[in-house]
Amino acid sequence: MVPTEHHGDQWEPYVDNGGSTLAIAGEDFVVIGSDTRSSDGYNINTRYDPKAFKFTNNTVLATTGYRADCKSMAKSVQAQITKYAHDHGKEMSVEAMAQMLSIMMYQKRFFSYYVFPIVAGIDKEGKGAVYSYDPVGNMERVGFRAFGSSSALLQPFIDDQLGFKNRADIKPEERELHLPDLQQAKNIITDVFNGAAERDIYTGDGLQLFTITKEGGIELEELPLKRD
Amino acid sequence: MSEASRSDYDRGVNTFSPEGRFYQVEYALEAIKLGSTAIGIQTSEGAVLAAEKRVTSSLLVPSSIEKIVKIDDHVGCAVAGLTPDSRIIIEHARGQAQSHKFTYDEPILVRSVSQSVCDLALQFGESVGESKPKMSRPFGVALLIAGMDEDEKPSLYHCEPTGTLVKTRLKAIGGGQEGAQSKLEADFEKDYNENPTLEQAKHLALKVLKEVMEDKITKTNIELSFVTMGEIRGKKAPLFQYENEEALGQLIERIEREKREQDALEFGESGDRMEEDH
Repeated sequence: MVPTEHHGDQWEPYVDNGGSTLAIAGEDFVVIGSDTRSSDGYNINTRYDPKAFKFTNNTVLATTGYRADCKSMAKSVQAQITKYAHDHGKEMSVEAMAQMLSIMMYQKRFFSYYVFPIVAGIDKEGKGAVYSYDPVGNMERVGFRAFGSSSALLQPFIDDQLGFKNRADIKPEERELHLPDLQQAKNIITDVFNGAAERDIYTGDGLQLFTITKEGGIELEELPLKRD
Repeated sequence: MSEASRSDYDRGVNTFSPEGRFYQVEYALEAIKLGSTAIGIQTSEGAVLAAEKRVTSSLLVPSSIEKIVKIDDHVGCAVAGLTPDSRIIIEHARGQAQSHKFTYDEPILVRSVSQSVCDLALQFGESVGESKPKMSRPFGVALLIAGMDEDEKPSLYHCEPTGTLVKTRLKAIGGGQEGAQSKLEADFEKDYNENPTLEQAKHLALKVLKEVMEDKITKTNIELSFVTMGEIRGKKAPLFQYENEEALGQLIERIEREKREQDALEFGESGDRMEEDH
């Protein structure tokens, strides 16, 4: 990552403030972890700047990229969710929120938010849902996703551990049997974030771990990460 | 005084009368009564819409008259009054339904699409600066909007030129609205204990429609549609559809047969009484 605020006289509208997010969807749960560091080059702006926010009793949005864009986008999403609740007399589902975010992002196609969002929630069928996006709004529903400065460390690991990619020991038809339960998924997230904080200078300080279940709603745990 | 103030205040759409009335909107409600009748019934299985088509000439192609239209896969609407006005409303409702589907990847709630129609009902008046209203006068139509949401609960809404939105289980609008409404309510309670099946609701709607229609009821001078669980692209989903011609023919036949039997029974009874009188 290169500090990009100024390239000579050219004004650069975007900065990458680093940090990582990781979400895992289960049969009836979703867990989503994100660190709380916000950096600019070799400087740390703050050690506590949460990347993930609860939007309804059922959805969390976590975003890495440029912090100002992340926050501006999150505010617009929150406004739309509140308006939706007033207009339609119901809380927005994770599917509806996912589609809405995609469209909100694409509407800024030619001056995009510099963001890498993940939407996590429980869908209408009670199943865990994770949606990931690129900065122009291309959306994909996935089983698990890592974004941010440590994504190159985290994604290949969960591809192996959760996606069973290129694994000779687990047959394709047996994959379902090896998927993690809620506690295992939480353990994976805390472990990989400790690993990321060790190697990636842009990830660290604190871990926010959101757990979403149909019965329990949204729970947040905050755990320490390496601070150097 | 009353006559004078009426003629003074009934011209503008931006002036209340001193009694607090809004004549143009009240006249719009009268315009609805000049049109043909439409009926809506909501049951626990689905909702039914029935409407009369006035075929004024044998040269007129009945299918070119549209009184019931589809708004989205799960919502339809019946109109009474100045039908051309409904074109604007329906265009708007269809737009809202598609825009919701596009933005949220889910069908719009029947309540929300009905509310959007009522919001439009108040967008009349003179243009102010850049903002141009859709209409210079209130709409001259009433609508019955029937649909079913994702939770599989059917609903029926009534929209008026006043902009009022009412959720209802039984409603008649148009020329025969008063007569039809009281017949509907009486039969709804008496024959079906306020809980008819979808098929019974179709029967009730056509029976009442027949009674308030001036012309003889046929397959071509009425429209019948309903919303219930159906199939869209192989998936179970709420579906608005028109009754097919064969089923419509059978329903009308049955109603006419029942009417003949009823008449025969009443004639017999009165015949007995006449004999006693002698």
